[in-house]
Amino acid sequence: MRLKLIGCEVLYRELCDAVARSPHQVDIEFLPKGIHDLGGEPMMKEIQARVDAVPPGTYDAILLGYGLCGMGLHGLAARHTPLVLPRAHDCIALLLGSRTRYEEHFQNYPGTYYRSTGWIERGKDIQQIAQNRTGLGLSLEALVAKYGEDNGHYLYEELTRYRNTYNRMAFIETGLEADNRFEEEARWQAAEQGWRFEKIQGDLGWLRQLVRGEWRENGFLMVQPGERIRATWKDDIIRAEDIRSRATV
Amino acid sequence: MPEFEKLHQAVLDGDQKAARSLTEAMLAEGVAPLDMITKAMVPAMDEVGRRFECEEYFVPELLLSARAMKASMELLRPLLTASGAQPAGRVVIGTVKGDLHDIGKNLVASMLEGGGFEVVDLGADVAPEKFIEAVKQSGAQIVALSALLTVTMPSMRTTIDALNQAGIRNQVKVMVGGAPVTSQFATEIGADGYSENASAAVQLARKLMAGSQA
Repeated sequence: MRLKLIGCEVLYRELCDAVARSPHQVDIEFLPKGIHDLGGEPMMKEIQARVDAVPPGTYDAILLGYGLCGMGLHGLAARHTPLVLPRAHDCIALLLGSRTRYEEHFQNYPGTYYRSTGWIERGKDIQQIAQNRTGLGLSLEALVAKYGEDNGHYLYEELTRYRNTYNRMAFIETGLEADNRFEEEARWQAAEQGWRFEKIQGDLGWLRQLVRGEWRENGFLMVQPGERIRATWKDDIIRAEDIRSRATV
Repeated sequence: MPEFEKLHQAVLDGDQKAARSLTEAMLAEGVAPLDMITKAMVPAMDEVGRRFECEEYFVPELLLSARAMKASMELLRPLLTASGAQPAGRVVIGTVKGDLHDIGKNLVASMLEGGGFEVVDLGADVAPEKFIEAVKQSGAQIVALSALLTVTMPSMRTTIDALNQAGIRNQVKVMVGGAPVTSQFATEIGADGYSENASAAVQLARKLMAGSQA
Protein backbone atom coordinates (compact mmCIF):
# COMPACT_ATOMS: atom_id res chain seq x y z
CA MET A 1 0.00 0.00 0.00
CA ARG A 2 0.96 3.60 -0.37
CA LEU A 3 0.02 5.51 2.73
CA LYS A 4 0.11 9.11 3.87
CA LEU A 5 0.73 9.72 7.57
CA ILE A 6 -0.27 13.03 9.12
CA GLY A 7 0.92 13.08 12.70
CA CYS A 8 1.66 15.29 15.64
CA GLU A 9 5.32 16.15 16.01
CA VAL A 10 5.12 15.08 19.65
CA LEU A 11 5.31 11.51 18.24
CA TYR A 12 8.13 12.36 15.81
CA ARG A 13 10.66 9.74 16.83
CA GLU A 14 8.08 7.02 17.43
CA LEU A 15 6.32 7.52 14.08
CA CYS A 16 9.61 7.74 12.13
CA ASP A 17 10.66 4.46 13.72
CA ALA A 18 7.33 2.84 12.84
CA VAL A 19 7.53 4.08 9.24
CA ALA A 20 11.06 2.74 8.85
CA ARG A 21 9.81 -0.73 9.82
CA SER A 22 6.60 -0.64 7.77
CA PRO A 23 6.16 -2.97 4.78
CA HIS A 24 4.35 -0.11 3.06
CA GLN A 25 5.52 3.09 1.45
CA VAL A 26 4.56 5.82 3.88
CA ASP A 27 4.88 9.57 3.31
CA ILE A 28 5.02 11.48 6.57
CA GLU A 29 3.84 14.98 7.34
CA PHE A 30 4.22 16.32 10.86
CA LEU A 31 2.08 19.11 12.24
CA PRO A 32 3.24 21.40 15.05
CA LYS A 33 2.51 20.34 18.60
CA GLY A 34 1.22 23.88 19.14
CA ILE A 35 -2.10 23.13 17.45
CA HIS A 36 -2.83 20.89 20.45
CA ASP A 37 -3.10 24.07 22.49
CA LEU A 38 -5.77 25.39 20.13
CA GLY A 39 -7.90 22.38 21.05
CA GLY A 40 -11.36 21.46 19.79
CA GLU A 41 -12.63 22.81 16.51
CA PRO A 42 -9.70 25.15 15.74
CA MET A 43 -7.33 22.17 16.04
CA MET A 44 -9.62 20.03 13.88
CA LYS A 45 -9.67 22.71 11.17
CA GLU A 46 -5.87 22.83 11.05
CA ILE A 47 -5.70 19.08 10.54
CA GLN A 48 -8.62 19.14 8.06
CA ALA A 49 -6.69 21.65 5.93
CA ARG A 50 -3.76 19.22 5.73
CA VAL A 51 -6.05 16.27 4.98
CA ASP A 52 -7.71 18.31 2.21
CA ALA A 53 -4.35 19.18 0.70
CA VAL A 54 -3.53 15.51 0.08
CA PRO A 55 -3.87 14.86 -3.68
CA PRO A 56 -6.73 12.51 -4.62
CA GLY A 57 -6.05 9.06 -6.03
CA THR A 58 -2.53 8.90 -4.62
CA TYR A 59 -2.87 6.98 -1.36
CA ASP A 60 -4.77 3.93 -0.17
CA ALA A 61 -5.37 5.63 3.15
CA ILE A 62 -4.43 8.68 5.19
CA LEU A 63 -3.18 7.64 8.64
CA LEU A 64 -3.59 10.03 11.53
CA GLY A 65 -0.94 9.97 14.23
CA TYR A 66 -3.32 11.42 16.79
CA GLY A 67 -5.84 10.45 19.45
CA LEU A 68 -9.11 12.28 20.04
CA CYS A 69 -6.85 14.89 21.67
CA GLY A 70 -9.37 16.90 23.71
CA MET A 71 -11.94 16.86 20.87
CA GLY A 72 -9.26 18.12 18.46
CA LEU A 73 -10.22 15.44 15.90
CA HIS A 74 -13.98 15.50 16.48
CA GLY A 75 -15.64 16.46 13.20
CA LEU A 76 -12.63 15.74 10.95
CA ALA A 77 -13.92 14.49 7.58
CA ALA A 78 -12.55 12.07 4.99
CA ARG A 79 -12.80 13.59 1.48
CA HIS A 80 -11.54 11.28 -1.30
CA THR A 81 -9.26 8.95 0.67
CA PRO A 82 -10.19 6.92 3.77
CA LEU A 83 -8.76 8.04 7.12
CA VAL A 84 -7.44 5.57 9.67
CA LEU A 85 -6.75 6.51 13.27
CA PRO A 86 -6.26 4.82 16.63
CA ARG A 87 -9.16 4.76 19.10
CA ALA A 88 -7.13 6.64 21.70
CA HIS A 89 -7.87 9.56 23.98
CA ASP A 90 -4.44 11.07 23.46
CA CYS A 91 -0.77 10.54 22.71
CA ILE A 92 -0.04 9.26 26.21
CA ALA A 93 -2.37 6.32 25.52
CA LEU A 94 -0.56 5.78 22.19
CA LEU A 95 2.84 5.79 23.90
CA LEU A 96 1.62 3.33 26.53
CA GLY A 97 0.40 0.99 23.80
CA SER A 98 -3.22 0.37 24.75
CA ARG A 99 -6.37 1.94 26.16
CA THR A 100 -6.44 -0.59 28.99
CA ARG A 101 -2.94 0.27 30.10
CA TYR A 102 -3.68 3.98 29.84
CA GLU A 103 -6.81 3.63 31.97
CA GLU A 104 -4.89 1.58 34.54
CA HIS A 105 -2.30 4.32 34.83
CA PHE A 106 -4.95 7.03 34.88
CA GLN A 107 -6.86 5.37 37.72
CA ASN A 108 -3.94 4.03 39.74
CA TYR A 109 -1.72 7.09 39.48
CA PRO A 110 -3.87 10.21 39.34
CA GLY A 111 -1.91 13.42 39.49
CA THR A 112 0.72 12.22 37.04
CA TYR A 113 2.32 14.51 34.48
CA TYR A 114 3.70 12.57 31.50
CA ARG A 115 6.82 13.25 29.51
CA SER A 116 8.34 11.61 26.45
CA THR A 117 11.04 12.62 23.96
CA GLY A 118 8.53 14.63 21.95
CA TRP A 119 7.09 16.35 24.99
CA ILE A 120 10.61 17.45 25.88
CA GLU A 121 12.18 18.43 22.57
CA ARG A 122 9.22 19.58 20.49
CA GLY A 123 7.14 22.74 20.24
CA LYS A 124 8.79 24.86 22.90
CA ASP A 125 8.37 28.01 20.84
CA ILE A 126 4.65 27.45 20.35
CA GLN A 127 3.92 27.32 24.07
CA GLN A 128 4.40 31.08 24.08
CA ILE A 129 0.99 31.56 22.46
CA ALA A 130 -0.81 29.62 25.16
CA GLN A 131 1.21 31.41 27.85
CA ASN A 132 -0.03 34.82 26.78
CA ARG A 133 -3.63 33.67 26.86
CA THR A 134 -3.61 31.71 30.09
CA GLY A 135 -0.57 33.07 31.90
CA LEU A 136 0.32 29.45 32.66
CA GLY A 137 4.03 28.79 32.70
CA LEU A 138 4.99 32.45 33.16
CA SER A 139 7.57 33.13 35.85
CA LEU A 140 6.86 35.17 38.95
CA GLU A 141 9.20 37.86 37.60
CA ALA A 142 7.33 38.04 34.29
CA LEU A 143 3.96 38.31 36.03
CA VAL A 144 5.17 41.00 38.43
CA ALA A 145 6.66 42.96 35.54
CA LYS A 146 3.35 42.86 33.66
CA TYR A 147 0.76 43.16 36.43
CA GLY A 148 2.60 44.82 39.31
CA GLU A 149 3.87 43.50 42.63
CA ASP A 150 0.60 42.60 44.38
CA ASN A 151 -1.36 41.31 41.38
CA GLY A 152 1.71 39.53 39.97
CA HIS A 153 2.20 37.54 43.16
CA TYR A 154 -1.51 36.73 43.31
CA LEU A 155 -1.56 35.49 39.71
CA TYR A 156 1.55 33.40 40.25
CA GLU A 157 -0.08 31.73 43.22
CA GLU A 158 -3.34 31.08 41.33
CA LEU A 159 -1.68 29.87 38.15
CA THR A 160 0.75 27.51 39.87
CA ARG A 161 -1.77 25.98 42.24
CA TYR A 162 -2.21 23.09 39.78
CA ARG A 163 1.25 21.93 40.83
CA ASN A 164 -0.21 20.79 44.11
CA THR A 165 -2.70 18.53 42.35
CA TYR A 166 0.14 16.73 40.58
CA ASN A 167 2.63 14.70 42.56
CA ARG A 168 4.35 12.50 40.04
CA MET A 169 6.26 12.87 36.79
CA ALA A 170 6.35 9.77 34.60
CA PHE A 171 8.88 9.60 31.80
CA ILE A 172 7.73 7.16 29.12
CA GLU A 173 10.81 5.41 27.81
CA THR A 174 10.39 3.88 24.36
CA GLY A 175 13.93 2.67 23.68
CA LEU A 176 14.27 5.20 20.87
CA GLU A 177 16.15 7.70 23.03
CA ALA A 178 19.63 8.26 21.62
CA ASP A 179 21.00 9.21 25.03
CA ASN A 180 19.76 9.91 28.53
CA ARG A 181 19.23 13.64 28.11
CA PHE A 182 15.44 13.25 27.88
CA GLU A 183 15.22 11.27 31.09
CA GLU A 184 17.54 13.75 32.77
CA GLU A 185 15.43 16.68 31.61
CA ALA A 186 12.26 14.98 32.91
CA ARG A 187 13.98 14.26 36.24
CA TRP A 188 15.02 17.87 36.46
CA GLN A 189 11.50 19.11 35.69
CA ALA A 190 10.08 16.77 38.35
CA ALA A 191 12.56 18.05 40.93
CA GLU A 192 11.76 21.63 40.03
CA GLN A 193 8.06 21.03 40.71
CA GLY A 194 8.71 18.90 43.78
CA TRP A 195 7.14 15.83 42.17
CA ARG A 196 8.17 12.20 42.46
CA PHE A 197 9.94 10.91 39.34
CA GLU A 198 9.29 7.56 37.78
CA LYS A 199 10.35 5.97 34.52
CA ILE A 200 7.77 3.75 32.83
CA GLN A 201 8.14 1.60 29.75
CA GLY A 202 6.44 2.73 26.58
CA ASP A 203 4.95 0.27 24.12
CA LEU A 204 5.16 1.18 20.44
CA GLY A 205 2.94 -1.70 19.29
CA TRP A 206 -0.15 0.41 18.69
CA LEU A 207 1.64 3.02 16.56
CA ARG A 208 3.47 0.31 14.61
CA GLN A 209 0.17 -1.45 13.83
CA LEU A 210 -1.17 1.85 12.49
CA VAL A 211 1.72 2.19 10.07
CA ARG A 212 1.87 -1.53 9.20
CA GLY A 213 -1.78 -1.51 8.15
CA GLU A 214 -2.92 -3.87 10.90
CA TRP A 215 -6.11 -2.05 11.64
CA ARG A 216 -8.09 -4.30 13.94
CA GLU A 217 -11.55 -2.91 14.74
CA ASN A 218 -10.89 -2.73 18.45
CA GLY A 219 -7.85 -0.50 18.11
CA PHE A 220 -8.57 1.60 15.02
CA LEU A 221 -11.34 3.46 13.27
CA MET A 222 -11.58 3.68 9.49
CA VAL A 223 -13.42 6.73 8.20
CA GLN A 224 -14.64 6.37 4.61
CA PRO A 225 -15.04 9.29 2.18
CA GLY A 226 -18.26 11.08 3.07
CA GLU A 227 -17.85 10.31 6.75
CA ARG A 228 -16.38 12.22 9.64
CA ILE A 229 -14.96 11.42 13.06
CA ARG A 230 -17.29 11.71 15.98
CA ALA A 231 -16.52 11.31 19.71
CA THR A 232 -18.74 8.71 21.40
CA TRP A 233 -17.74 9.36 25.04
CA LYS A 234 -17.83 5.61 25.49
CA ASP A 235 -15.22 2.85 25.53
CA ASP A 236 -14.78 2.88 21.73
CA ILE A 237 -13.93 6.64 22.00
CA ILE A 238 -14.71 7.48 18.36
CA ARG A 239 -16.97 6.38 15.52
CA ALA A 240 -17.55 7.35 11.89
CA GLU A 241 -20.62 9.41 11.10
CA ASP A 242 -22.20 10.21 7.73
CA ILE A 243 -21.17 13.76 6.90
CA ARG A 244 -24.72 14.63 5.81
CA SER A 245 -26.18 13.93 9.24
CA ARG A 246 -27.13 17.09 11.04
CA ALA A 247 -25.20 16.85 14.27
CA THR A 248 -21.90 18.68 14.39
CA VAL A 249 -20.30 19.79 17.65
CA MET B 1 -22.33 58.98 40.20
CA PRO B 2 -18.58 59.25 39.71
CA GLU B 3 -18.09 56.84 42.65
CA PHE B 4 -19.96 54.13 40.80
CA GLU B 5 -17.79 54.75 37.76
CA LYS B 6 -14.63 54.60 39.86
CA LEU B 7 -15.67 51.31 41.43
CA HIS B 8 -16.62 50.00 37.99
CA GLN B 9 -13.17 51.01 36.73
CA ALA B 10 -11.36 49.45 39.71
CA VAL B 11 -12.99 46.10 38.96
CA LEU B 12 -12.17 46.42 35.25
CA ASP B 13 -8.54 47.24 36.11
CA GLY B 14 -8.31 44.38 38.58
CA ASP B 15 -7.33 46.89 41.26
CA GLN B 16 -8.22 45.12 44.49
CA LYS B 17 -7.08 47.89 46.84
CA ALA B 18 -9.00 50.59 45.01
CA ALA B 19 -12.13 48.41 44.87
CA ARG B 20 -12.01 47.84 48.61
CA SER B 21 -11.30 51.45 49.61
CA LEU B 22 -13.96 52.82 47.23
CA THR B 23 -16.50 50.39 48.64
CA GLU B 24 -15.63 51.46 52.18
CA ALA B 25 -15.90 55.14 51.27
CA MET B 26 -19.24 54.64 49.52
CA LEU B 27 -20.66 52.67 52.44
CA ALA B 28 -19.56 55.47 54.76
CA GLU B 29 -21.42 57.95 52.53
CA GLY B 30 -24.54 55.84 52.88
CA VAL B 31 -24.70 54.32 49.39
CA ALA B 32 -26.92 51.23 49.38
CA PRO B 33 -24.97 47.96 48.98
CA LEU B 34 -27.44 46.63 46.43
CA ASP B 35 -26.95 49.77 44.31
CA MET B 36 -23.21 49.21 44.28
CA ILE B 37 -23.75 45.71 43.03
CA THR B 38 -26.29 46.52 40.34
CA LYS B 39 -24.75 49.82 39.21
CA ALA B 40 -21.04 48.99 39.44
CA MET B 41 -20.10 45.34 40.03
CA VAL B 42 -22.48 43.49 37.73
CA PRO B 43 -21.94 45.88 34.77
CA ALA B 44 -18.18 45.75 35.38
CA MET B 45 -18.08 41.96 35.38
CA ASP B 46 -20.28 41.92 32.27
CA GLU B 47 -17.77 44.24 30.60
CA VAL B 48 -14.90 41.98 31.73
CA GLY B 49 -16.78 39.08 30.14
CA ARG B 50 -17.26 41.05 26.92
CA ARG B 51 -13.56 41.92 26.74
CA PHE B 52 -12.69 38.28 27.35
CA GLU B 53 -15.02 37.17 24.54
CA CYS B 54 -13.36 39.52 22.06
CA GLU B 55 -9.88 38.60 23.30
CA GLU B 56 -8.95 41.96 24.78
CA TYR B 57 -8.75 40.23 28.18
CA PHE B 58 -7.23 36.83 28.87
CA VAL B 59 -7.24 34.53 31.89
CA PRO B 60 -4.93 36.71 34.07
CA GLU B 61 -7.13 39.81 33.58
CA LEU B 62 -10.21 37.73 34.39
CA LEU B 63 -8.62 36.47 37.60
CA LEU B 64 -7.61 39.97 38.66
CA SER B 65 -11.03 41.50 38.01
CA ALA B 66 -12.70 38.67 39.89
CA ARG B 67 -10.33 39.31 42.78
CA ALA B 68 -11.11 43.05 42.85
CA MET B 69 -14.81 42.27 42.73
CA LYS B 70 -14.46 39.80 45.60
CA ALA B 71 -12.63 42.39 47.74
CA SER B 72 -15.65 44.63 47.43
CA MET B 73 -18.16 41.80 47.85
CA GLU B 74 -16.56 40.74 51.12
CA LEU B 75 -17.64 44.08 52.55
CA LEU B 76 -21.07 44.06 50.93
CA ARG B 77 -22.19 40.48 51.44
CA PRO B 78 -22.66 40.61 55.24
CA LEU B 79 -24.77 43.77 54.82
CA LEU B 80 -26.85 42.14 52.11
CA THR B 81 -27.38 39.00 54.17
CA ALA B 82 -28.37 41.10 57.17
CA SER B 83 -30.91 42.99 55.07
CA GLY B 84 -32.36 39.70 53.85
CA ALA B 85 -31.37 40.20 50.20
CA GLN B 86 -31.20 36.93 48.26
CA PRO B 87 -28.28 36.00 46.00
CA ALA B 88 -28.93 35.68 42.25
CA GLY B 89 -28.87 31.94 42.87
CA ARG B 90 -26.97 29.23 44.66
CA VAL B 91 -24.53 27.08 42.69
CA VAL B 92 -22.74 23.87 43.68
CA ILE B 93 -19.62 23.57 41.53
CA GLY B 94 -16.78 21.07 41.10
CA THR B 95 -14.67 19.14 38.62
CA VAL B 96 -16.05 15.64 38.11
CA LYS B 97 -14.63 12.43 39.52
CA GLY B 98 -11.19 11.62 38.14
CA ASP B 99 -10.47 15.15 36.91
CA LEU B 100 -7.89 17.11 38.87
CA HIS B 101 -7.82 20.18 36.63
CA ASP B 102 -9.51 23.05 38.38
CA ILE B 103 -8.27 26.35 36.95
CA GLY B 104 -11.29 26.67 34.64
CA LYS B 105 -13.66 25.68 37.41
CA ASN B 106 -12.11 28.26 39.76
CA LEU B 107 -12.53 30.94 37.13
CA VAL B 108 -16.19 30.06 36.61
CA ALA B 109 -16.74 30.07 40.39
CA SER B 110 -15.20 33.57 40.64
CA MET B 111 -17.21 34.90 37.72
CA LEU B 112 -20.43 33.49 39.21
CA GLU B 113 -19.68 35.15 42.53
CA GLY B 114 -19.05 38.35 40.61
CA GLY B 115 -22.44 37.91 38.99
CA GLY B 116 -24.09 37.86 42.41
CA PHE B 117 -24.36 34.09 42.86
CA GLU B 118 -23.58 32.23 46.05
CA VAL B 119 -21.10 29.49 45.19
CA VAL B 120 -20.49 26.23 47.03
CA ASP B 121 -17.13 25.09 45.63
CA LEU B 122 -16.53 21.38 46.18
CA GLY B 123 -13.08 21.49 44.58
CA ALA B 124 -11.62 18.91 42.19
CA ASP B 125 -12.19 15.17 41.63
CA VAL B 126 -15.66 15.30 43.17
CA ALA B 127 -17.63 12.05 43.45
CA PRO B 128 -21.35 12.08 42.47
CA GLU B 129 -22.38 11.41 46.12
CA LYS B 130 -20.64 14.62 47.17
CA PHE B 131 -22.59 16.68 44.65
CA ILE B 132 -25.81 15.11 45.93
CA GLU B 133 -24.95 15.80 49.54
CA ALA B 134 -24.03 19.42 48.77
CA VAL B 135 -27.27 20.03 46.87
CA LYS B 136 -29.29 18.61 49.77
CA GLN B 137 -27.39 20.67 52.34
CA SER B 138 -27.25 23.98 50.49
CA GLY B 139 -30.55 23.93 48.65
CA ALA B 140 -28.69 24.98 45.50
CA GLN B 141 -30.68 25.58 42.32
CA ILE B 142 -27.74 24.92 40.00
CA VAL B 143 -25.08 22.22 39.77
CA ALA B 144 -22.05 23.16 37.63
CA LEU B 145 -19.79 20.36 36.41
CA SER B 146 -16.34 20.81 34.88
CA ALA B 147 -13.98 18.43 33.03
CA LEU B 148 -10.77 19.05 31.10
CA LEU B 149 -10.19 15.57 29.68
CA THR B 150 -12.23 13.47 27.28
CA VAL B 151 -11.32 10.57 29.60
CA THR B 152 -13.29 12.12 32.47
CA MET B 153 -16.22 13.50 30.47
CA PRO B 154 -18.26 10.30 31.06
CA SER B 155 -18.15 11.19 34.79
CA MET B 156 -20.47 14.09 33.96
CA ARG B 157 -23.06 11.60 32.72
CA THR B 158 -22.54 9.45 35.84
CA THR B 159 -23.06 12.49 38.07
CA ILE B 160 -26.30 13.48 36.34
CA ASP B 161 -27.52 9.86 36.53
CA ALA B 162 -26.72 9.86 40.26
CA LEU B 163 -28.73 13.08 40.77
CA ASN B 164 -31.62 11.30 39.04
CA GLN B 165 -31.32 8.23 41.21
CA ALA B 166 -31.16 10.36 44.34
CA GLY B 167 -34.47 11.88 43.28
CA ILE B 168 -33.15 15.46 43.21
CA ARG B 169 -32.56 15.95 39.50
CA ASN B 170 -35.77 17.97 39.14
CA GLN B 171 -34.76 20.34 41.93
CA VAL B 172 -31.67 21.56 40.12
CA LYS B 173 -30.46 22.75 36.75
CA VAL B 174 -27.20 21.18 35.61
CA MET B 175 -24.68 23.17 33.60
CA VAL B 176 -21.49 21.70 32.15
CA GLY B 177 -18.27 23.10 30.75
CA GLY B 178 -14.56 22.53 30.18
CA ALA B 179 -12.29 22.61 27.13
CA PRO B 180 -13.46 19.37 25.42
CA VAL B 181 -17.14 19.71 26.39
CA THR B 182 -19.60 20.61 23.63
CA SER B 183 -23.26 21.59 23.56
CA GLN B 184 -24.04 18.35 21.77
CA PHE B 185 -22.45 16.36 24.59
CA ALA B 186 -24.39 18.43 27.13
CA THR B 187 -27.64 17.52 25.37
CA GLU B 188 -26.68 13.85 25.11
CA ILE B 189 -26.06 13.47 28.82
CA GLY B 190 -29.21 15.38 29.78
CA ALA B 191 -27.61 18.57 31.10
CA ASP B 192 -29.68 21.75 31.06
CA GLY B 193 -26.99 23.96 29.66
CA TYR B 194 -23.46 24.27 28.34
CA SER B 195 -21.19 27.24 28.38
CA GLU B 196 -18.09 27.74 26.30
CA ASN B 197 -16.24 29.95 28.76
CA ALA B 198 -16.33 31.50 32.21
CA SER B 199 -18.11 34.69 31.24
CA ALA B 200 -20.80 32.89 29.24
CA ALA B 201 -21.29 30.64 32.29
CA VAL B 202 -22.71 33.61 34.22
CA GLN B 203 -25.22 34.40 31.44
CA LEU B 204 -26.17 30.73 31.35
CA ALA B 205 -26.66 30.55 35.12
CA ARG B 206 -28.93 33.62 34.98
CA LYS B 207 -30.92 32.03 32.17
CA LEU B 208 -31.27 28.77 34.08
CA MET B 209 -32.43 30.63 37.19
CA ALA B 210 -35.02 32.54 35.15
CA GLY B 211 -36.19 29.21 33.72
CA SER B 212 -36.36 27.47 37.09
CA GLN B 213 -38.51 30.23 38.54
CA ALA B 214 -40.89 30.29 35.59
